[in-house]
Amino acid sequence: MTDIARQRAERLAAQPLITLASGPGGFFRGTINDLRELWKRRELQGILVRRELKNRYKDSALGFLWTLIKPITMLLVYYFALGQILGASRNTPEYAIFVFAGLTIWGLYADILTSSTMSILQNAALIKKVYMPREVFPLASVGSALLNFCIQFGVLLVAMIVFGQVPVNWDSLYIIPAVLVVAIFGTALALVLSALNVYLRDVQYLVDVMVVLLFWASPVVYAFRSVAGSDAAGVGTWLYQLYLLNPITIAVVAFQRGTWLHGHGVETSLAKSHIPLSHNYPADLDLRLIIAIVVGLVFLWFAHRLFTRLQGNFAQEI
Amino acid sequence: MAAKIPVLKDAPLVIRMAGLSKRFVIRKEKSLKERIVNFGRSNKHKDDFLALHDLNLEIHAGQTVGLIGHNGSGKSTLLKVIGGIIRPTTGVIQRRGQIAALLELGAGFHPDLTGRENIFMNGSILGLTRKQLAGKFDEIVEFSGIGEFIETQVKFYSSGMYVRLAFAIAVSVDPDILLVDEVLAVGDEAFQQKCMNKIRQFQQEGCTIVLVSHSAEQIREMCDRVIVLDHGNVIFDGNTENGLSALSTSFEE
Repeated sequence: MTDIARQRAERLAAQPLITLASGPGGFFRGTINDLRELWKRRELQGILVRRELKNRYKDSALGFLWTLIKPITMLLVYYFALGQILGASRNTPEYAIFVFAGLTIWGLYADILTSSTMSILQNAALIKKVYMPREVFPLASVGSALLNFCIQFGVLLVAMIVFGQVPVNWDSLYIIPAVLVVAIFGTALALVLSALNVYLRDVQYLVDVMVVLLFWASPVVYAFRSVAGSDAAGVGTWLYQLYLLNPITIAVVAFQRGTWLHGHGVETSLAKSHIPLSHNYPADLDLRLIIAIVVGLVFLWFAHRLFTRLQGNFAQEI
Repeated sequence: MAAKIPVLKDAPLVIRMAGLSKRFVIRKEKSLKERIVNFGRSNKHKDDFLALHDLNLEIHAGQTVGLIGHNGSGKSTLLKVIGGIIRPTTGVIQRRGQIAALLELGAGFHPDLTGRENIFMNGSILGLTRKQLAGKFDEIVEFSGIGEFIETQVKFYSSGMYVRLAFAIAVSVDPDILLVDEVLAVGDEAFQQKCMNKIRQFQQEGCTIVLVSHSAEQIREMCDRVIVLDHGNVIFDGNTENGLSALSTSFEE
């Protein structure tokens, strides 16, 4: 009997026996344990994010430039088709900045949803063979989407300077809660959708459709003012309230306020056409942002509980 | 035959199962149309399959346990339950110590990453930190015998190189419990010998090994305890020779 063996036996005897989850565990204690385990695996998280980014543009000559080419193409299309041809830019000063700001924050949300939904299935080989907290896969998708967002945001900042807007003033602070709302709801949905997609593959197609639909349910390419001023969904109608219940709408409006509305050029041209600044966002934007963050955190927690409940059978269902 | 290493007398318990069962539900239809058509009668279209039935087992540190049985007797399922990959339907499983599984080698490899990058990724999947991996890096490369190809993307590796690298990473974890599922027959003969030596070293260091194998010879050579499974039930639990003969009688039935 070697010394190493004896030492090992002593070390093991000192450790408590850990019960592997036979069920979803206690509601609160389960969450804390899971968070602790996820924190322990943060290095793996980083590696998975890097792998996802590398994987996305593997063997392509332009590589990372593609993260910019896609939104810039969309920007050009919307700028010319909607802005110049359909005339949206007449009522919306600095329409290019407006559209690019909307597309940037919306892109984060769409990116999280589409890539995370597939994340568990794409890593089937690993999940079937090795144990690790399965949350790392959807979270890695969220992480890589956030990195892409940062790059696009950098381009947006450059564009703001080029168009002569001051990039920093108090309204810039709206960027932070806007990104937070999208990140929280995106992460929660990422957990739910990736887990459900294991059991029902229809989810991935449903997400594709929903992303197209939801794109028009937030003021990404049209001004919020046009909704508030319309007959069908104007201020005071139930459709308007429903429209504002969408946390992503709140986030998009707040993001535009942080990047577009605070611009000097925007203010002067709005003043020239006698449009009050406050018509460009709902009156109680601050309160709505706070509510969205709180509700989002609760939703995130429920999403995680659902995920832990569903993950027990991942290995056999994939 | 290699001399068996005596088990510590007061060896601590490392794996404990109580009333452990695993039920698989096999649904016969998956499409929406069939589900709607069969709605309400859906229970008739479900099949239950009891992969593990009320297992009560205790495994102590330093034991090398062979799991044997027919195809479909629940060996691999049991191994996955121990590894935490599959959650049992009922019952409790407890364990302690660092666990490593040689279930399928190279499962976590990414074809577009180099050998070096895959060592770091796979190692962190198995629970090692970047620092630990950096310290073990040379040892892993040495053991795998990959040499200069470590900077090549693994998609260009031969299947032998692939498996050798994966094995080298898996054994570098220095586990307290090692789960092995029929993967010891990898690589050429020289590498197999290397693997067996590594396993023996683990045994000497008091590592607990749970092994699934169809090779009676391998079981006889390595295990000091054998558990025979049949349709999810333990039909024998004891020393190796009796276990192997219990298995062959169950074949005859």
